[in-house]
Amino acid sequence: MTMFGFALACILAVSGAFAADTCYQDVSMDCGQASNSLALPRCNAVYGNYGRHGNVATELQAYANLHLERSYEYLLSASYYNNYQTNRLGFSKLFRKLSDDAWEKTIDLIKHVTKRGDMMDFSRRSTQEEKSEKNYTVELHELESLAKALDTQKELAERAFYIHREATRNSPQMHDPEIAQYLEEEFVEKQADTIRNLAGHTADLKKFIVANNGQDLSLALYLFDEYLQKIV
Amino acid sequence: MFSITKKMKAVIFVVATLLAVCAPTFGKQCNVSPVNIPKQWITMQQSCRSSMRRQIQMEVAASLQYLAMGAHFSRDGINRPGFAKLFFDAGSEEREHAMKLIDYLLMRGELDTDVTSLIQIRPPERKSWESGVDALEHALKLESEVTKSIRSVIIACESDPKFNDYHLVDYLTGEFLEEQYKGQRDLAGKASTLKKMMDRHSSLGEFLFDKKLLGMDI
Ligand SMILES: [Fe+2]
Ligand SMILES: [Fe+2]
Repeated sequence: MTMFGFALACILAVSGAFAADTCYQDVSMDCGQASNSLALPRCNAVYGNYGRHGNVATELQAYANLHLERSYEYLLSASYYNNYQTNRLGFSKLFRKLSDDAWEKTIDLIKHVTKRGDMMDFSRRSTQEEKSEKNYTVELHELESLAKALDTQKELAERAFYIHREATRNSPQMHDPEIAQYLEEEFVEKQADTIRNLAGHTADLKKFIVANNGQDLSLALYLFDEYLQKIV
Repeated sequence: MFSITKKMKAVIFVVATLLAVCAPTFGKQCNVSPVNIPKQWITMQQSCRSSMRRQIQMEVAASLQYLAMGAHFSRDGINRPGFAKLFFDAGSEEREHAMKLIDYLLMRGELDTDVTSLIQIRPPERKSWESGVDALEHALKLESEVTKSIRSVIIACESDPKFNDYHLVDYLTGEFLEEQYKGQRDLAGKASTLKKMMDRHSSLGEFLFDKKLLGMDI
């Protein structure tokens, strides 16, 4: 390589103008050098300013952590509804399904974080998260627990919208269609279904509670639980 | 024609407020009152119960530690998908162990209260590993600690002066210890094969072993 070529390469590397070419430059500069180590710092999976601009990379880690936490919280709700006092197997099944889905998504998100050349940080929290949010309780009655499920599912869905927006619109230096399409394909669509179903359940319970001066409630909850066992 | 003047708006507001205040105040009952069920069939003792609860938390912590291993081996610069799969699967298995222990408690009439405090999520202690061997040996250490902990649950549940919990002890011995010993043997075997493969050809050895873990023949 001529001196001029080398200088040009360095300038281009610093400015990041030909980001796609930099692994090759690492290779051509390092191979044949006297040292027997090969660093190749730019031979990685990072592209499109992922992790360099905006907060998409850190928000994706936080999104994995949120799924992880919700997964175990839903598992506790599923457990609570399976004790001999509550004994609502349908409600238990509903929460177990939410837990399984959140667990699966946790692993998928971790894989996606690393797919984009990043590391997973299990203590990362979202900037969207309120400090006083750690108050999930599972010892709730049926309608309360559905309300919690609905609220937390909406939170997950709205967080996906937020990350999508950060990946596509909010940052002038960050446009990441890959993240946008990942969220659309793996999260957004299914979340709408889950939220609609939970809202529908609360609508049904609401009617049972007010109907017939509340006389229907205990039998209604029993039947509704049987119904949940069939549809979840 | 339907435009509402400010005055009318004010009147409507006052009427609405009055209606809200004076509405008949029968309390809406949104839940069924709890019932009383005889309790003599609930026989688990406090020390056994609390050691089971600690064990559940330990399985959860193990699940998170395995996820961190899966994350590490998924990294672009590490690139060991076979190890990543092994550890992600191990993480899901630990979660299943927690669920099995919870199900057991539920069968015995437990977990009608204090359910929220059963599990805490804390970031896993370790985040990176030198090599595949390092991670396998760490996993083996982790499993040995879990085994030791299950043994302490067994001791707590069989040595209560009021109640020897034969059935739980049998369950833990037959199902959990069995799986622990098999799992430990498997990890130890993998670690020793890998270590031998890496003796003279460390990077090639780990590469080949990783593909073996993926179920690939090359
Ligand atoms: Fe386990
Ligand atoms: Fe294990």
